Amino acid sequence: MPVLPELAQIQFKGFSRFVHQKLLKELENFPKIEDTDKEVEFRSIGNQYQLTEPSLEERDAAYQCITYSADLYVPAQLICKEDQIVQEEDVRLGSIPWMNSGGTFIINGIARVLVSQILRSPGIYYNRESDQRGILAYTSTVISDQGGRFKLEIDGRNRIWVRISKKKKISIFILLVAMGLCKRDILQNSRYPRIFSNMFKRQKESIESPEDAIVELYKHLYSATDADVFFSESIFRELQKRFFQHRCELGRIGRRNLNIKLTLDVPETESFLLPQDILAAADHLVEISYGEGKLDDIDHLKNRRVRSVADLLQEQLKLALNRLENLIRQNLSRAVRRKRAITPRGLVTPVPVIAAFKEFFGSHPLSQFLDQTNPLSEMVHKRRLSSVGPGGLTRRTASFQARDIHFSHYGRICPIETSEGMNAGLISSLAIQAGVNTSGSLGSPYLEMSDSSGEEQLVNLSPAEDDYYRVASENLLLSEWRGSEKEIIPVRYQQEFLSVLWEQVDFRSIHPLHHFSIGASLIPFIEHNDANRALMGSTMQRQAVPLIKPERCIVGTGLESQVALDSGSVAISEQDGKVCYIDGNRIELSLIHEAKKNKLAQPTTIEELKIFERSNNNTCMHQKPAVSLGELLRGGEIVADGAATVRGELALGKNILVAYMPWEGYNFEDAVLISERLIYEDIFTSLHIEKHEVEICATNQGPERVTKQISQLDGYLLRHLDDDGLVELGSWVEAGDVLVGKLTPQEGASSSRVPEGRLLQAIFGIQLVNARESCLRVPIGGRGRVIDVRWVYPEDDATNDLEVIHIYILQRRKIQVGDKIAGRHGNKGIVSKIVPRQDMPYLQNGTPVDMILSPLGVPSRMNVGQIFECLLGLAGEFLETHYRVVPFDERYEREASRKLVFAELHEAGARTNNPWLFEPSHPGKSRLIDGRTGDPFGQSITTGKAYIMKLIHQVDDKIHARSSGPYALVTQQPLKGKSRRGGQRIGEMEVWALEGFGVSYTLQEMLTTKSDHIQARYKALSAIMTGKPVCKPKTVPESFRLLVRELRCMGLNLERNFISEEDLGREFENI
Amino acid sequence: MRKNEMSTSKQAIQWKCLESKIESKRLHYGRFLVSPFKRGQASTVGIAMRRALLQEIEGTSITCARFCGVVHEYSTITGLQETIHDVLVNLKEIVLRGDSKEDIQEAFLSVTGPKEVTAGDLSLPPGVEAIDNSQYIATITQPISLTIELEIEKDCGYRIENLAKSGKGQFPIDAVFMPVRNVNYSIHLFGSGRATQEILFIEIWTNGSLTPHEALRKASEKLMDLLTTFLYVRGGDVSLFENGEDSLDLTKSPSLQPQFGDTNNLEERVLENRFIDQLELPARAFNCLKRAEIYTIADLLNYSREDLSKLKNFGRKSVDQVSEALWDRFAKELPDKKIVLNRRK
Repeated sequence: MPVLPELAQIQFKGFSRFVHQKLLKELENFPKIEDTDKEVEFRSIGNQYQLTEPSLEERDAAYQCITYSADLYVPAQLICKEDQIVQEEDVRLGSIPWMNSGGTFIINGIARVLVSQILRSPGIYYNRESDQRGILAYTSTVISDQGGRFKLEIDGRNRIWVRISKKKKISIFILLVAMGLCKRDILQNSRYPRIFSNMFKRQKESIESPEDAIVELYKHLYSATDADVFFSESIFRELQKRFFQHRCELGRIGRRNLNIKLTLDVPETESFLLPQDILAAADHLVEISYGEGKLDDIDHLKNRRVRSVADLLQEQLKLALNRLENLIRQNLSRAVRRKRAITPRGLVTPVPVIAAFKEFFGSHPLSQFLDQTNPLSEMVHKRRLSSVGPGGLTRRTASFQARDIHFSHYGRICPIETSEGMNAGLISSLAIQAGVNTSGSLGSPYLEMSDSSGEEQLVNLSPAEDDYYRVASENLLLSEWRGSEKEIIPVRYQQEFLSVLWEQVDFRSIHPLHHFSIGASLIPFIEHNDANRALMGSTMQRQAVPLIKPERCIVGTGLESQVALDSGSVAISEQDGKVCYIDGNRIELSLIHEAKKNKLAQPTTIEELKIFERSNNNTCMHQKPAVSLGELLRGGEIVADGAATVRGELALGKNILVAYMPWEGYNFEDAVLISERLIYEDIFTSLHIEKHEVEICATNQGPERVTKQISQLDGYLLRHLDDDGLVELGSWVEAGDVLVGKLTPQEGASSSRVPEGRLLQAIFGIQLVNARESCLRVPIGGRGRVIDVRWVYPEDDATNDLEVIHIYILQRRKIQVGDKIAGRHGNKGIVSKIVPRQDMPYLQNGTPVDMILSPLGVPSRMNVGQIFECLLGLAGEFLETHYRVVPFDERYEREASRKLVFAELHEAGARTNNPWLFEPSHPGKSRLIDGRTGDPFGQSITTGKAYIMKLIHQVDDKIHARSSGPYALVTQQPLKGKSRRGGQRIGEMEVWALEGFGVSYTLQEMLTTKSDHIQARYKALSAIMTGKPVCKPKTVPESFRLLVRELRCMGLNLERNFISEEDLGREFENI
Repeated sequence: MRKNEMSTSKQAIQWKCLESKIESKRLHYGRFLVSPFKRGQASTVGIAMRRALLQEIEGTSITCARFCGVVHEYSTITGLQETIHDVLVNLKEIVLRGDSKEDIQEAFLSVTGPKEVTAGDLSLPPGVEAIDNSQYIATITQPISLTIELEIEKDCGYRIENLAKSGKGQFPIDAVFMPVRNVNYSIHLFGSGRATQEILFIEIWTNGSLTPHEALRKASEKLMDLLTTFLYVRGGDVSLFENGEDSLDLTKSPSLQPQFGDTNNLEERVLENRFIDQLELPARAFNCLKRAEIYTIADLLNYSREDLSKLKNFGRKSVDQVSEALWDRFAKELPDKKIVLNRRK
């Protein structure tokens, strides 16, 4: 199998391009700055820039919660023009967050990743659009590098209009004249002068001079009123600045695309639209409207490009340098005015660059919090392509076409892996072999077919080239499997599937999984799964929690090792060496090659291991040594296994003996039964590390204090605190225990605002201390072992005396009822019952089944791959073999997968003397026996070893109840969500249920006292305090009041009247 | 008495060991033949035996480990290749054989490196032995000494320890006391017509801490223990079930009901209906009390501290726990010795 390109390459290449090309380019573009009198000049020598190594180790940066960055220095000159004195100094321009070996950035101690964006390539596109009235018109859109748009339209009467940035359309003449052409130029240079002259004739007022045209243009674009605007230099300059400079810079790629499309010969350095471009574009538009030429397909990948790390960072640097330029200019003129001595260092501050990058990494939608649930999710996140984000599509307006799979996606963007829901099709994933070239187009490598020499050339095809070749996908391609030379092969050609002779094939794909992303290609037998379920399978693999005893899958696809290796989760020896020290924390290698060179000192490299570190998703990252003392290693060999890897292979789950059968209804609706064995053998046990933080800040009453002396709280809750008021390392804390004892000074005797607070004070006479306790407590469900306590001093310049304490609590979670588990084929379920092992059905050799899945989960979901996997797994279990099956083996033979599975099962049965493994009357199934009664079940049942993962969605994080809590300010209804201590919604259907049971009091309580009835709420509280029965509310809840108010708005009054029988008098009650 | 009853059955059921092999130190296999059974009996015996073997057999296991100078189990010791957590996981898997009846036994491990520490290095109390001396525990890579104090207990099933009880350097281990790995049985017929009889084959795989023969014997003992209750069932005993609530409390015999004064009657009734599981005692103490036929708080109050400590497997610590729980939850104390004497038979 060919080795795949480094999986995080898209990130590394992007960053290296930024450092080596884009950075230099931006620095070289930094202008000379002169003061207003042109006496002093500041210039930076951009091409001699220097980058320091990051001052801290990456690990330390993460530990101290600061940014891992490198400083940028540039030599700067200050030239005094009078006396020609040149001062030269290295100035620090700022620091640039540095990419680490995993392809991520550490920002304030948190791993973040820059997701590549895929958006429309700059250039010109012809299309047919219908306007508001449904009239079709041909348009040509020029998309600039920055996303600004400029559109030519031709209407039914052959008039050509221009629309700039979706504003009102104006005649093309105005634009052309404003650009400096006269009528004659236009008519001479156009290929279709008839149309232009017709347009001239129809025009009411003729605009001749460029000045008039500019004024007209300005009026259309920027002046809201119809006030007369007269031409002036300022208008011209403003127009130039706002329109031409910003919006319509094509860039190098845009210029190239334009040249190709319009067959122009403009040099690539010309990055703005020229009059001749517009004329040529108009000409082409005319041709298109007469049916010549082709319309463009905006969803074709040749018309889209990838904006990677390099472009995103470059943009920010540009912005930052722009700000710096203004700042230097200000400083310079101020210094000159006041006649101060100036140095280059005095002029330049690193603030703008640092601030720009900080803002970018902190708030840009494409700088994302790295998904670190397991190594795979990390990897997939780095390879993600997003269509949303600045300059891209928006989730709500994106059309179906933009989300759909396009023909040009083959081998570039995975047709399977995308997110579900709103972002479907907008967030996609890079295919395993695809790469991004310097111009940002997605390339896919193919093997060139050559008849003469046996060797096949690897060619990287761009999406545009793809259409012109006959590309055979993997079916029936291996020469040894080919029957004859005359065989007909299915190929892709010009966005269609054809069948051609073998000789006519130009290219063939490299790998059966060529089209898929890594998530999808880790699914064995994916060809037997419905695409929707394969999607879920690839999504859920990213949510698998690393287990404490991971296990390699018996049935895999062979990509596991590379994913694990490239994810950075395993520790790898950098050079050849001999292991000379091992311990839980580090492994030392003595280098052999260098030892020969200098005999005095034994050079060693130290590999520091990650010990129970917290990941972004609260899972545990931990490395275990995988070598033994004295072992000789090559460079690149695995030294230590990380989380969810075993011997360098990805191990997200466990091989579990499953049976597909119903069991007492406990697997209704995808629920799953498990055996107790999974608990006591710690099969699905995972470690979770939660970070709790508390800020210690200065209030206007004085600083907050961290202390153990907190009189407000019970001593039992404070039992884990040491003398400083911090929780002791290694203590086991339960929900409610105090982690950091903190007192906030408070003014005077103002007691707590809750009504019962005052009452308590009055009754029990608790002395109010003039400090409020604001302790950090363990939240509900947060119990565990305290493994780390850190003081952190954030870098923020604004608040300098802010201190933050981080407490890390580790939990060991065994699987329990309510946890979500899933296979790799989109077969997911919730644990519904845990059954003792003797009660589980057992196989004919006595082995109890570990998990019972619902057989009804298979037919409607069409993920048959799980059946193949589990049967082959069973064979592998008995034969002690691990299978790596590359999907799409059906290309060799019909029903190849089935034959393979049955053959292996048969062999396993024969070799280990277990004939029940393969019974010809019902292949793949066997009789199971009920562990409770000893009776065999009526039907034979599919059983096998499936690879099952435990997902991050666990009950411990979700379970939640509310007795009382916060209310929404506006509606006065309880909030929702666990994080806000919210309540459960009583929706329509729940109300129906209550109505159905006739529990009117419960229902009323739900809808009034427990919801938005403010008075009743307080009354209930006081009733509880005094021990009296809670009385029924007499007034109405807030939402009903609102309804009444709204009715009154419509002129309908709503009153409640009591009419007594005796005197027919009425009593009003205003609602 | 049991023997007599067994011999009265007319069938001469015999067993034979067909196969017994030691596949590895930690995997023993035995295959047994039991015959002849009448039709249907083999299944009754087979499933009962299978379930008893899997569920009821007791095992010995390490339940707690104490490390010196270790703050928490998610840390490392310089010179030790594994983390403490990994060592605990390895200790959990160590197979021990214990004959002693004592509840908690102490063992320790004291090794000086560099060395690969295996189960053979454990210093076990008398009556407890490690089955597989080569079972891996940890690797010490530096010349340091590693000392671990261990607690060994005998129980059945498995337990999930409450980590809240762990002190400094002391880490409870979720022990698994299940020596039987797997059981299978099959039934074969022989003879024909009305004379058809059944043969039962039982296959047993154990973890080596007891042989399949022993497992078979213990399982049958456990089964018989469970069934002895019915030996005392007589026709007249219906009077025991006076009302619906009490009917659950099958084993309560009238003789155990004390007769205190009238004033205490109501309270007494309440205590009779409170079962000792409300004391939330540790599993061992609870089981001991149950074995001693103490089911309700009222039953418990018939025992003084001394009486309790005389119970099998009931140590001083357990007595303390019981009295503490009793005081916490019901504000009751265990009675003095002399009051009780005449109450008990």
